Amino acid sequence: MAYRGGGGRRHGPSAAFHPVSPGRLFTCRTPTHNICMVSDFFYPNMGGVESHIYQLSQCLIERGHKVIIVTHAYGNRKGIRYLTKGLKVYYLPLKVMYNQSTATTLFHSLPLLRYIFVRERVTIIHSHSSFSAMAHDALFHAKTMGLRTVFTDHSLFGFADVSSVLTNKLLTVSLCDTNHIICVSYTSKENTVLRAALNPEIVSVIPNAVDPTDFTPDPFRRHDSITIVIVSRLVYRKGTDLLSGIIPELCQKYQDLNFIIGGEGPKRIILEEVRERYQLHDSSKIRVRLLGALEHKDVRNVLVQGHIFLNTSLTEAFCMAIVEAASCGLQVVSTRVGGIPEVLPENLIILCEPSVKSLCEGLEKAISQLKSGVLPAPEKIHNIVKTFYTWRNVAERTEKVYNRVAGETVLPMDKRLERLMSHCGPVTGCIFALLAVFNFLFLTFLRWMTPDSLIDVAIDATGPKGAWINQYPYSRKRGRNKTR
Amino acid sequence: MCAQPVPNTTEIRWQKVLYERQPFPDNYVDQRFLEELRKNIHARKYQYWAVVFESSVVIQQLCSVCVFGVIWWYMDEGLLAPHWLLGTGLALSLTGYVLFDLLDGGEGRRKSGRTRWADLKSALVFITFTYGFSPVLKTLTESVSTDTIYAMSVFMLLGHLIFFDYGANAAIVSSTLSLNMAIFASVCLASRLPRTLHAFIMVTFAIQIFALWPMLQKKLKACTPRCYVGVTLLFAFSALGGLLSISAVGATLFALLLVSISCLCPFYLIRLQLFKENIHGPWDEAEIKEDLSRFLS
Amino acid sequence: MVLKAFFPTCCASADSGLLVGRWVPEQNSAVVLAVVHFPFIPIQVKELLAQVQQASGVGVAVLGTWCHRRQEPEESLGHFLEGLGAIFSHEPWLQLCRERGSKFWSCKATHRQVPTSPSAPGEDQVMLIFYDQRKVLLSQLHPPTALPDHQAGDATASTRGLAAVFDTVARSEALFRSDRFDEGLVRLSHWQSEGVEASILVELAKQASGPVCLLMAYLLSLISAASTCRVFKLWPLSFICSKLSTCEQLRHRLEQLTFIFSTQKAENASQLMRKANTLVSVLLDVALGLTLLSWLHGKDRIGQLADALVPVADPSSASSVVVYWAYCGQTGLCGQEPSQAECPWLLRVAQLRGRRKESLGAGKEWVAEELQHLLQWLMGAPAGLKMNRALDQVLGRFFLYHIHLWISYIHLMSPFIERILWHMGLSACLGLTVALSISDIIALLTFHIYCFYVYGARLYCLKICGLSSLWRLFRGKKWNVLRQRVDSCSYDLDQLFIGTLLFTILVFLLPTTALYYLVFTLLRLLVVTVQGLIHLLVDLINSLPLYALGLRLCRPYRLSAGVKFQVLEHEAGRPLRLLMQINPLPYNRVVHTYRLPSCGCHPKHSWGSLCRKLFFGELIYPWRQRGDKQD
Repeated sequence: MAYRGGGGRRHGPSAAFHPVSPGRLFTCRTPTHNICMVSDFFYPNMGGVESHIYQLSQCLIERGHKVIIVTHAYGNRKGIRYLTKGLKVYYLPLKVMYNQSTATTLFHSLPLLRYIFVRERVTIIHSHSSFSAMAHDALFHAKTMGLRTVFTDHSLFGFADVSSVLTNKLLTVSLCDTNHIICVSYTSKENTVLRAALNPEIVSVIPNAVDPTDFTPDPFRRHDSITIVIVSRLVYRKGTDLLSGIIPELCQKYQDLNFIIGGEGPKRIILEEVRERYQLHDSSKIRVRLLGALEHKDVRNVLVQGHIFLNTSLTEAFCMAIVEAASCGLQVVSTRVGGIPEVLPENLIILCEPSVKSLCEGLEKAISQLKSGVLPAPEKIHNIVKTFYTWRNVAERTEKVYNRVAGETVLPMDKRLERLMSHCGPVTGCIFALLAVFNFLFLTFLRWMTPDSLIDVAIDATGPKGAWINQYPYSRKRGRNKTR
Repeated sequence: MCAQPVPNTTEIRWQKVLYERQPFPDNYVDQRFLEELRKNIHARKYQYWAVVFESSVVIQQLCSVCVFGVIWWYMDEGLLAPHWLLGTGLALSLTGYVLFDLLDGGEGRRKSGRTRWADLKSALVFITFTYGFSPVLKTLTESVSTDTIYAMSVFMLLGHLIFFDYGANAAIVSSTLSLNMAIFASVCLASRLPRTLHAFIMVTFAIQIFALWPMLQKKLKACTPRCYVGVTLLFAFSALGGLLSISAVGATLFALLLVSISCLCPFYLIRLQLFKENIHGPWDEAEIKEDLSRFLS
Repeated sequence: MVLKAFFPTCCASADSGLLVGRWVPEQNSAVVLAVVHFPFIPIQVKELLAQVQQASGVGVAVLGTWCHRRQEPEESLGHFLEGLGAIFSHEPWLQLCRERGSKFWSCKATHRQVPTSPSAPGEDQVMLIFYDQRKVLLSQLHPPTALPDHQAGDATASTRGLAAVFDTVARSEALFRSDRFDEGLVRLSHWQSEGVEASILVELAKQASGPVCLLMAYLLSLISAASTCRVFKLWPLSFICSKLSTCEQLRHRLEQLTFIFSTQKAENASQLMRKANTLVSVLLDVALGLTLLSWLHGKDRIGQLADALVPVADPSSASSVVVYWAYCGQTGLCGQEPSQAECPWLLRVAQLRGRRKESLGAGKEWVAEELQHLLQWLMGAPAGLKMNRALDQVLGRFFLYHIHLWISYIHLMSPFIERILWHMGLSACLGLTVALSISDIIALLTFHIYCFYVYGARLYCLKICGLSSLWRLFRGKKWNVLRQRVDSCSYDLDQLFIGTLLFTILVFLLPTTALYYLVFTLLRLLVVTVQGLIHLLVDLINSLPLYALGLRLCRPYRLSAGVKFQVLEHEAGRPLRLLMQINPLPYNRVVHTYRLPSCGCHPKHSWGSLCRKLFFGELIYPWRQRGDKQD
């Protein structure tokens, strides 16, 4: 089985032109890349970043690229696993420090990552999430090895406290010689540019997406009482404290109003206290239901039970939850923070200030709109929203980024050191320049110990041309039917 | 992809929305980029003399510690009769007590709901306990070496200064801890004095100067700032005078410290404001400005 | 497939005849038990076999023919033997043949019926395995312990095969009753035909054991009925009985004797072994006890022991020296004798000193010196924190007063110690283990150490609790009992003041209290260790399976862990011959399998929790009798 794509040489242009095959959607000769997605956060952990990586990888595979994913081991899940369409995932046995982020010494992951990159003939490293130490490590090593790098940032950060200052410094170092950066909203782009002192030309804005077939409205929804749905982690950042003021006020004003709250977290106790205090639990009708932690597959069924979706986050870069809710046909009421104003148009979302009074007003407006029937039907909302954000569009735009990056040169060692020392400040720059030199020496040592020519090339299992699928020709038809 | 936008004849303006496909490339930088960036919106402009006035709280505490040390030294050397200190302390406490109520015309007492009877009970409790435990306190640190005692006291008094509530809203402030450290230091030092009566009087004096004096000063500062400044200056000079009688070098150093805290530090603070660069924008985490515990109380 | 034929070595030189035994189809092996010699009547042979089958439950059958040729082969005999196959039909039919004087055999196993699969031949290859019938009969197979990843019941094929062989031989007792020297209708050759030695004593013991068991069982039932009467259930007695290890040991002995002399027969081999083990260990115990008794009663040793024990409890050694030194060390009166008024007990010490000089002096000097060293080391504590004189005096006087009380008690008791020891010596008749319950005496004599330990520990514990609570107050926090966590709390000024004052006092008095606590805890631990060692020794004697160990030593084939095969001389074309020898059970497995149940006293705490309890001043009782017996 020959491997396809990727250059045999480490340096130089990485594109290999792929001949046309019948049944393909594209007719022009597009360059394909070997992409390695690196992050600490991946399946079996469920979350925004994880699903973003997975969906993006699947769509890129569909477009003909080779994608592998590198993450850390989750419990017993170590080694190599294969997901749908031959997506290969490496679960590296690295120690997890805190909140699913690996403990890093910056050097101990070099041998493993180098091996993977050489084996899979990777040309582009795409790291996700600034909270992930492995992502930054991979960027660092990729630059030492002369590979192109892309970074996606999924969150917003502050500037004022000590931890933020340090994190921003580290981010500056990490991103100062990265080829391209992707942010999920314009606010996020501004935030990242300020934090890492970047040139805004190298930052692209590619939003997240939502699978509209997973989130469809329920045609048989009840209309007798109005239900407000909240699905989020119950932590301070998501504004759960505001709920403790909204719930009693609205429940007293409207007798037929119900709340459904899904999600788990340390602030759950406050909601339980509110419920007890205002006796919203043990009357004949249960006004406030706390569902606890929800599995991803259950979210849609919870969302369609409501008419209004409330989001009280205090900070959000993109907020997939409101798009999911809009896709299910709910009216959205949210706080005006972060990137939320950019996500949905005015007629689908009501934006409020992050205070109890303002959110109550917004909710009352939504309730009165609902009662008077001014709101469009859920199916209509779903049809509108489904055109806004799709994964295929995200993949197409990301591919443009890769094509642009593939044409750029990687900074050689001397330019890189210069960049570090000039861009990152005197002290930090010198320290990291030193670390870059050590990294380079370590890499040279590894290359001498195990030359690249001795490393086996991995069999390419990705996509319709993948090795495993070729053995069983009948599964290709099945696979094609399953693509969205 | 080029960075410059191709000027369109139809003049499609760039919008900050994600749900529409705009004809601009993904890394397009509009002139509205960073338009919501604000810098230093919460920056305060400081007035020099106002800051100097505020620094008097720190001066007061330093002088209290200094006076306490000086008085202890005199008692240890035997230069000060304990009865004299007791009498003076009692008289000053009574004066302060009366003044405390007079300053705001009884307003504070009415608001806190604390009766004179409760004050009397507290005072009796203090006196009784201190008197009762003073023999124990006297022999408490007999077997501990003098250097250890001095080191511990210095450490505790330093801690008292660090954790004291100067009126700032910082996380490190803990008035309980600072008072406890001061009392611990006073007990350590009092146990070194020659007789039981000395120990009792020393601890009482420590309570007066570390617990009662700051309360009075806070009230004075709030009600009559001019008087407060006068009292602070008087207190500072008396502390310096007392220290001078013990050691000239110490007095010089202490004077330097006081001057630098009251005059130099405010100047430096105002100078550094020029370099402040706080960035604010739509990406900031929203602050909940109201008190949400009222829903649960 | 290869057919395994197990052949007894005793029949290797028997005359020709029929092979009788059992066929185990799962292992494709034939276990030959005996040889039936000519002449015989087939009907009678079949009758005999049916009888044996009914009696023993083993499926014995005629397996084939055995031919031991003296001279050149006789044609007629050969044909005759083959014809027998028609009479005693057995599938497969085994034909073993040996030439006299030759070591090599020839074997044939034929299948009468047409084989089902075309690849299997009509004749099987035969492998001969010789075994010593007597040894296999008497031996007991101990299968290896199952590996953790095997399911229960998933014994390996070899284990099952072996178990089948041993089982067959062991259960076929009925077959071995008649042999070739009998005048009966059928003449058999097996292990008993070589003659077996029988011991008269063993036979007599077997006959006598019945009535003896009955008598002893009756006596023991009387005793146990008496012990369960209501009187012993009343509170003071039952409490004392549960605490004394002597009573525990007596109860255990009673149970053992009841078990030995029970009139029920042992159901299986392990119960028999247990009975035997128990009997041997009781006998050994009683023997050792009688030795101890004779030793004690000779040369007035009881008196000497009494003298040696009393000074241990005497305050002039052990704890009083501690307190005395602590007291003197602070007042600087190290070299001087305290006044008589202060220490009246020293007068008594002087009197005692005169009476029993050598032993008293020697014991006292040694103990006093050791404790002196200990205390001097403790008093030279590092970090410059020394003891508080005032508190020291208070505590010292307190403990001295208690020692004064203790002296009175000891001198009250001292005339009785000798009597008690004499009676204890008597109890050695019941066994050494009972006598070793001297640990009760030790507990009684060191009661004052226990008291001091409790005082010291309680004081220390109180101090630690107070300190931790006041430390929380010092930082401005308090313990939230409802939420089980530390919360911040705003205290009043007077609360803060008193709290800090008390905290300071407790902190500075901590070293003194800690020192007293440390010393008394060490003494207590010493006593506890000695008690523990005695208990361990008792436990060892109780639980060691001596009979099984003796059996393993003298007759190793009786306890087998498996077998090993020795390959005998082999000639090409001849069947393979193996000699099966029994692998005896290793000693550790013997002990492990046949351990007797004992009221084991194992330490209740792990090291970590013990250290934690010591640090926080909680009382420790490391040796506790387990309520449930363990096997």
